[in-house]
Parts: sequence; structure tokens; C-alpha cells
Amino acid sequence: MRAAVQKLQLGEGGAIAAFVVPVLVVIVVFPLTFILLQAIFPNLGAGSLAEPFSRLADTFSDPRIGRWTLNTIMLGSAVVFTAALVAVPLGVLRGLFRVPLAGLWDVMFLIPFAIPPYIAALGWIMTLQPRGYLDQMTGINLGQFLFSFWGVVFVMTLNVFPVVYFAVSRTMATIGGRYVEAARVAGANPTIAFFRITLPLATPAIAASLLLVFAMAIEEFGTPAALAARSGFLVLVTGIEQKLSDYPIDLPGAALLSTILVGLAMCAFALQAWVVTRRDFRTLSGKPKTGDLTPLGNWTVPVVGFFALIAFLGAIVPVAAVFLTASTRTISGGLAWDNFSTIHFEAILANRGGAMQALQTSLGLGLTAAALTGIIGTLTAYVVVRHKSLASRMLDFLTLAPNTIPGIVVAVGLILAWTQPWLPFTPYNTIWVLVLAYCCLLLPYPVRYANAALRQIGTSLEDAARVSGANAFVAFVRIIVPLISPSVIAAMLLVFAVAARELVATILLAPIGTRTVALFIWRQFEQGSVGLGMAMSTIAIAITMTIPILVTLWMQRADNQPG
Amino acid sequence: MHKFTALLLASAASLALTAAANAQSVTVYTAGPADLIEELAAGFTAETGIEVGIFQATTGQMMARLEAEAANPQADIVISASMDTAYDFGAQGLLLDYTSPNAENVPDFLKGENWVVQGISALAIAWNPNSGTPEPTDWTDLTGEDYRDLVTMPDPAQSGSAYELVAALVANEAIGWELFEGLAENEMIVPGANAAALNPVLQGAKAVVFGAVDYISFNSQQAGESIEVIFPASGTVIAPRPMMILETSQNQDEAKAFIDYVLSEEGQAMVAATNLMPSRTDIAADRPLISDLDILDVDPETDRAATLARFAEIFGIE
Repeated sequence: MRAAVQKLQLGEGGAIAAFVVPVLVVIVVFPLTFILLQAIFPNLGAGSLAEPFSRLADTFSDPRIGRWTLNTIMLGSAVVFTAALVAVPLGVLRGLFRVPLAGLWDVMFLIPFAIPPYIAALGWIMTLQPRGYLDQMTGINLGQFLFSFWGVVFVMTLNVFPVVYFAVSRTMATIGGRYVEAARVAGANPTIAFFRITLPLATPAIAASLLLVFAMAIEEFGTPAALAARSGFLVLVTGIEQKLSDYPIDLPGAALLSTILVGLAMCAFALQAWVVTRRDFRTLSGKPKTGDLTPLGNWTVPVVGFFALIAFLGAIVPVAAVFLTASTRTISGGLAWDNFSTIHFEAILANRGGAMQALQTSLGLGLTAAALTGIIGTLTAYVVVRHKSLASRMLDFLTLAPNTIPGIVVAVGLILAWTQPWLPFTPYNTIWVLVLAYCCLLLPYPVRYANAALRQIGTSLEDAARVSGANAFVAFVRIIVPLISPSVIAAMLLVFAVAARELVATILLAPIGTRTVALFIWRQFEQGSVGLGMAMSTIAIAITMTIPILVTLWMQRADNQPG
Repeated sequence: MHKFTALLLASAASLALTAAANAQSVTVYTAGPADLIEELAAGFTAETGIEVGIFQATTGQMMARLEAEAANPQADIVISASMDTAYDFGAQGLLLDYTSPNAENVPDFLKGENWVVQGISALAIAWNPNSGTPEPTDWTDLTGEDYRDLVTMPDPAQSGSAYELVAALVANEAIGWELFEGLAENEMIVPGANAAALNPVLQGAKAVVFGAVDYISFNSQQAGESIEVIFPASGTVIAPRPMMILETSQNQDEAKAFIDYVLSEEGQAMVAATNLMPSRTDIAADRPLISDLDILDVDPETDRAATLARFAEIFGIE
């Protein structure tokens, strides 16, 4: 009987794999292969395979690469550490306790994702530098701190901690208090029960989200470039960007340096895989119990204070800086009453056609990317978790790799791939190339989230469904999907927020004449019109956030319904 | 969800349709001001009925796209912010020879067999008069005690024009690397590309940009920012923006017509209105023109990598 069920599962996994693998080949493998080929063949763009490996020696003989690599590892590790320090407690509290205003915090912690990193960095600069907004209001400037290694870590942590928060809180909610109750019955005190039972059970979610944080931290360019470069702290991405920043550019050099980032990510991935496959985390063997959140009691005020502090730093300060810059006529005029003005917002309204078109395109791209990555990510994670083989391990890593390569290099890979003359058709120069790019770059979120959630679910539920006569597809859709949907929906919201404002890959790939929000803002900055760019950012953040707010309200209503 | 997918499908379809229906179109890849190219395109379409497809990015991003799609080129015209692109593309035989009839009043050093300049920017000192510092008049002033910890400069590794400025100044025997050593000693910061260097000066965290792009500073000034543009006494470098038609262009006649339009009085007036210097000498502009500036030459034989490495070493950005 058992063998028969196992065989059936392999069969059904096989059907899903037969769908997932070709899709991943098109979305991920195809462009990544061309990045690798570009690293090997310098003249690939022109269709020539001449002089293979000729750029290897001079690129890697650059004496700075060793230091850049060390700096990259330091920065990635520090951001992982501080993000865990902030977001794991937040996630635990949100998942296990009755935190007042829980929906509000969920929405607030999504805002950092809706703000493009380079705008967040600029917002922090304009707030903390000498004569910045904080200085103008209180006489204090924290420029010394901001433009240092720990300043970068601070800003990056605030940009990425939501990844950990959402993964941990959703998982904690699923594990719930049942195991703790069992431990309490067996005589453990609450603290011991938490550290010995609940926290270890959430390991897959914590490890998966910290892996994402590491990948994001070593790939992100804007923040270290804006903040740490002036204190002489350079990372690999800074080096990669320099190779593409002005004429003459060096595509093979950029591709080669990117392989170091992929290597670093591979090490982090191996560590994560070791942590999560060492033990069995299957805790979910029945319908999850909802509504058993523990009251906070005397801890209510400090806990709410902690949530409010992080929301203030992560969401309110950057948004306020953006809004203040948008609402002042000139930057040099500062926060003076006669300098406040609505001219920048009026200018956006006057250009309603262009701005509306950009908003519409960006929202459409965000929703499409969220829907596609949600589906593909869930299926991929299912194949990876249910099949324990080297092939599935490789599949798993493949879906992380694009997140570790700078967006501009991924974009180059996509152009090289999709302009090949032998292709029967190509999405290049249509909006679909952007959809492909966002799916490639953002697939890691749903895959990691779904992967962690699936590791929590035993096969017994599916077995039961199959024995009761459901076929594999029905069992997957009716049993697995609802159980992992809180995690997957959280990941899809992250994808939506990022795709609706993605800049780096978009600049390179934008089809002729396409307008997106990020391009609109970037063009204003390029021309020195910071106020106009910030006005558009304010509008875009407000509109982008309505969708997560609606989803949060809808999920809260579903939670509160009896049943 | 379906609605948005439908929207995407529709926009994809409409893109495909416009490409097919409009045989009369020209695709321009351009660095530099977005407003300018959009005005030029609108004016050109109004006059000729030829549609203009625009791709706008920085010179580096534009080159990355051009190089990556070289197997299947998409652009008809390239407008770069770096003269080297024109020389290199020309040497590689990628450019179509064309001399526009409207280029007559463009001085010889701003045109070649297969390229002609759209407009020119220069580098300058951008100074915030509210900073409480004396008004500087030359590059070397900024090594003085008055400007300690108050100067920013665009990174020559990220900005082609900043690199040219470094190359030109260090080649000048009276100035040399001592200037940059003095600036480093005076705690000048190199915070990134052009916009990153200007922003701290606007807000007042710093007082002066060493090597600001002049037209962006003029635009900020016109928007009411407290900023003065000063052309240093010992001269500066210019960044002409060459326009080129690619040999692979399938729309060569339309491309030539577009070049003609940019060099027309109307087109050059648009260039002047964005505070770039027009390349035609007979067009008025509300700013100092090329004949008013002392222009420093850059030796094309300069070792770029070595110059950038020395600069990075002096400022500790390695």
C-alpha cells in the first residue's frame, strides 16, 4: 500500500515536474546561460565565439577583487544578522500572539518593498546628512553614522527585513501553540517550550528568508554605492556597475564578476540546505487551528512600541523624506513655510497622460509578475520538496541564482538570449520581456516561501485524500494549496511591490516607448528634477499600497469568519 | 487580474501593430535629457509624419544594450554623451556616412564623416551662495581652507566627462596631480555619479561641486535652487553629444531626416532651451557659449585605467 502511494506521488510529481522544468528553462536557464557564455566569449553580442576565455586573466588579476569579495561577504553577513535580530522577534510575536493593529503592521512592513532602494537611500541621505531634514528640525545630523559601513547595514536592513518578518510570522501562525501546549503538559515552562519546540520548528522559514536576505544584500547596488562608497567601502556590485557605467563598457568583465556573486550565493544556499534537511519539520498533519493566539497581557505596550519603532524607521521616515522633498519648491530652500508648495504634484497632474500610463503599466506588470511567479514558484517548490534528488537540489538553486546577480547583468543576459537571430519568435521589444525579467528576478520569493511552508506539511493529508478517491491534481489544489497559501500570498505581495517599481533591469529592457513608474522617476532625477521625481514616487507608493491593503483586509475578514 | 492580463496583451499587441503599420518610423537610442528628445521627436513627427521610437538611458546603459543586441540591431540613430563612442563606432565601420545640409554652421571640430554633434555640455564649478563660503573662481581655489570638507566631485569611474576633466587637468603642468592630492587633503568627497555629487550641495551639506554638468546646474538654478555655475579661469572640458546613424539601419532616409531636423533652427533652439550649448554657431542661447569658454584638450592617448586607478588611490576609493 505504502509503496503504491509513493509510486503514485512520484508519478504526480513527475507530471508537475514536466510542466515546471521547461518553464524554468525559458525563464531562468536561458538568460543565465547567456550570461555565462558572455563571460566566456567576449564578442558574444555580435554573435561571435572568437577568443574564448580571453578576458578571464585580466578580469580576475585585478588586485581589488579580493577585498571587494571580502567586503561583500561582510556586508551580506551583517545584514543577515541585523535583519534576523529585528525581524525574527517581530515575526514570532505576530504569529503567536494577539498583537494589536496586526493588519496595520503587515501593511506598514510592506512599504519598504514598495520604495525603490535608491530612493530610500536618497531619502535617508536627505534626512540625516548635515543640513538635512533632521538637522533642520532638531539640530542633529547623523551623517557620520549614515555614510559608514553600519549606516549601509542599517538602511539595507530596513529595506529587507520584511522578507524575514512575513516568512516567520506566517510559519509561526501555522505551527501555532499546540506543540507548546504539549510541552507545557509535560512540564516545560513557556520559555523552554518556545526555544526547544516552536523556534526550531520554524527553522525552514527562518533559514529560507535569511538566505533571501543574503542574496539581496550582496546583489543590491544603490545603497552601498550611495552611502558607503564615500568612506571607501566598495563591494563586488560596485565593481560590476563601474564596468557598465560609462563608455567604454565591459560586458564580459561584468559577467565574470557576477559569477563570484553566484558562487557566494551557492555557499549560502548549501548552508541553508544543510540546516533544513538535517531534520524533519513536518508538523502539519491536519487542519491548522486558527484563533488560538496568546494574549500579550502586560507586554502589550512594549510590544506595540517595538512594532511602531520599526514601522517608523522602515516606512514612515523614508516616506516622509520622499513626501517632504516632493512638497518643497526647492531643496536649497529647506523646510521653510514659504518653500512648501504643490508645484511638483501639479506638474505631475499636468502630465497626467504620461504619468497615468506609467502607473497603469507598472501596476499591470506587478500583478502579472505576482500571479505568474506565485503559480510557478508553488509548483517548483512542490517538486523540490517532494523529490529528494540532486536534480531537484539543482532546480532549487536555479531559482535562487537570479536574485544574486545584479539586475543589470540579468538584463544583459535576457537581451543576449532573446535577440538570437535563430529564434522563431521573441518577446524582445514587447512588454513581455519585462514580464520575463521580473519573473526571473523575483521567482526566488515565492519559491523560498512555498518551500519553507511545504516542509511543514506531512504527506499524510495528501495520502488521505488519495485514499478517499481524489486524484493527484485535486489533492494538490484542495489540500496543499490552501495550507501554504498564507505564505505564498505574502510572497506574491512582495513580488508585486518590487515589480511595480523595478528600475535596474527595466532601464535596459524597456521596449521602445514603454513608460513605467520607475523610469518616469529616474528620468526626472537624471535631469536634476528631484522634487518632480519624489512627487511621482509619493503617488506611486500610495497607489501601489492599495492592493496589499485590500488583500490584508480580505484575509482578515476570511480569518474572522467562523468555520 | 484578467483585466490586467488583457491590458498587457492589448498593449503588447498594439506595440506589435504600431511596429508593423508604421513603415515610416525611426528608432533613436539616446543618452541625456529626456525632455529634449521627446520635444525633438514631437516636432519631427509634426513636420514629417515619421514616428520616432525612443530608448533613453545613460551612455553606459545604452552601450550595454547596443552591445548585447548587436546580433540583431534595433536602433537607427545613436546619440551618446561620449565622443569616444563616435570615434570607436566609426573605426569599427558601424556608422553610415552622412553630412547634413544643416550642418553648415556647425564648426569642424563638432562634426565628422559619419557623426555630428547635437549639443554640448561643459563641466563647471557649481557653488551654493547660501553656504557661507567665498565664491570660487578656479579649480585650485577649492583646495583652500574655506572649502575644507565642503567639496564634492562626480566619480570619474562613473562619469565620462569627469574622467576627461581629470585627464585634462593632470596633463596641465601647472596643475597636475597635486591639485587632486590637495583636494583629497581638503576632504573632498566622491559620492557617485553626477546627480549624487550635486544633491548634497543643494541641501547645504556641502558647498561646491568640482566638475558639475553645467546644463543640469543651470536647470536647477532656473527651478529656483540656490546654485551658481562658475566656469573656472584656467579652463574646462566639454562633452559634445555625437549623433550617428548605424550602418545596419533599415530606415536610413528617415534617420537622415531626423538628423536634419535636430540641426535645423527649430531643433537647435530646443537644444538651447534645455541649457545645452547648440552645436550651430548661429543659434542664440541664454548661457555662455563654446566661444566664451577656455577649453582644455584631452590627449586621446591618455591611459584611462591608470588615470582612474591613481585617482581612486588618492581618494581611497579602491
